[in-house]
Amino acid sequence: MSYGPRHPIGCDQILSRVYFFIDNELDEADSRQIRQHLDACAPCLDEVAVERLVKALVARSCSERAPVELRQRVVFSIRQVQLEVSQLELGHPRPDVD
Amino acid sequence: MVAMLLPQALVEPDRREVRAMIDRLERTLPLPVMTQTPEVEETVEERTARFERDAMVYLDQLYSAGLRMTRNPQDAEDLVQETYAKAFAAFHQFKPGTNLKAWLYRILTNSFINTYRKKQRQPIQDSHDVIEDWQLARAETHTPAGLKSAEAQALEHLPDSDVKDALQQIPEDFRLAVYLADVEGFAYKEIAEIMGTPVGTVMSRLHRGRGQLRTLLADYARGRGLVHEQSDVAEEVTQ
Repeated sequence: MSYGPRHPIGCDQILSRVYFFIDNELDEADSRQIRQHLDACAPCLDEVAVERLVKALVARSCSERAPVELRQRVVFSIRQVQLEVSQLELGHPRPDVD
Repeated sequence: MVAMLLPQALVEPDRREVRAMIDRLERTLPLPVMTQTPEVEETVEERTARFERDAMVYLDQLYSAGLRMTRNPQDAEDLVQETYAKAFAAFHQFKPGTNLKAWLYRILTNSFINTYRKKQRQPIQDSHDVIEDWQLARAETHTPAGLKSAEAQALEHLPDSDVKDALQQIPEDFRLAVYLADVEGFAYKEIAEIMGTPVGTVMSRLHRGRGQLRTLLADYARGRGLVHEQSDVAEEVTQ
């Protein structure tokens, strides 16, 4: 398949890489190639826009705040572990916990 | 999901390209391995203070992730508490300067898998199949510009609760990959490390998860009457 000078890559190649593009997984040269294509191709630009929107919707919808009691519980359990670790370190090497 | 099959000539060059991309990403694996901290003299109290200072800032984020994993506030709280306790107990193995957030997420994910998911583990897919699978899963042709703008406008007005509901409906592995990429902005190789899978599997999960999510969101938008006289929009995204 050949593309004119204004279309060094085709829409199929753009669409197969939409996620790599919006997730910033492409190197600069590949991203530039895609941006150049998007400048000249409204349908591909729209496709990228919808995918970006879905990504933004997920990010927007998933930011909960931890309940205050959870913070207290977590700090409490850290202190409990600290106590156990200090006791261990008095006589033994540190455990390798995974 | 119905795949749109393309003429082989269209798919082949691209597949090679994507495979090369996966190879490049795989080469950058693994993430910095958590090694023993060089023995700087640090008391347990100092280590506790350092952990609380550096790790507690991720509490809200880990709780949000826990909610998406367990789908239940009580389980999410237990999971997060367990995560912090384990992380602190292993904190001497964490190498300062490496990615603490990714490390905490890995512990969260492992704890979730071990505690909450043991009984329903899914079989591991062959990575070769995975690549074919997501390559075909995506329709590599686009629709006329107007349809996409209509879809985007409709989705934009969905309430957060719909997005969360839709996320809950996609398979857990897909949901987690989408969450880690979209909410936390982790790179594919970091997600691979967190989920303990090859990068190709992460890509597959992202592609399939996002495809399903988009279909579900379009359904919600239609159900709420956000899509006006655009029945073909919903059909198009359902593919």
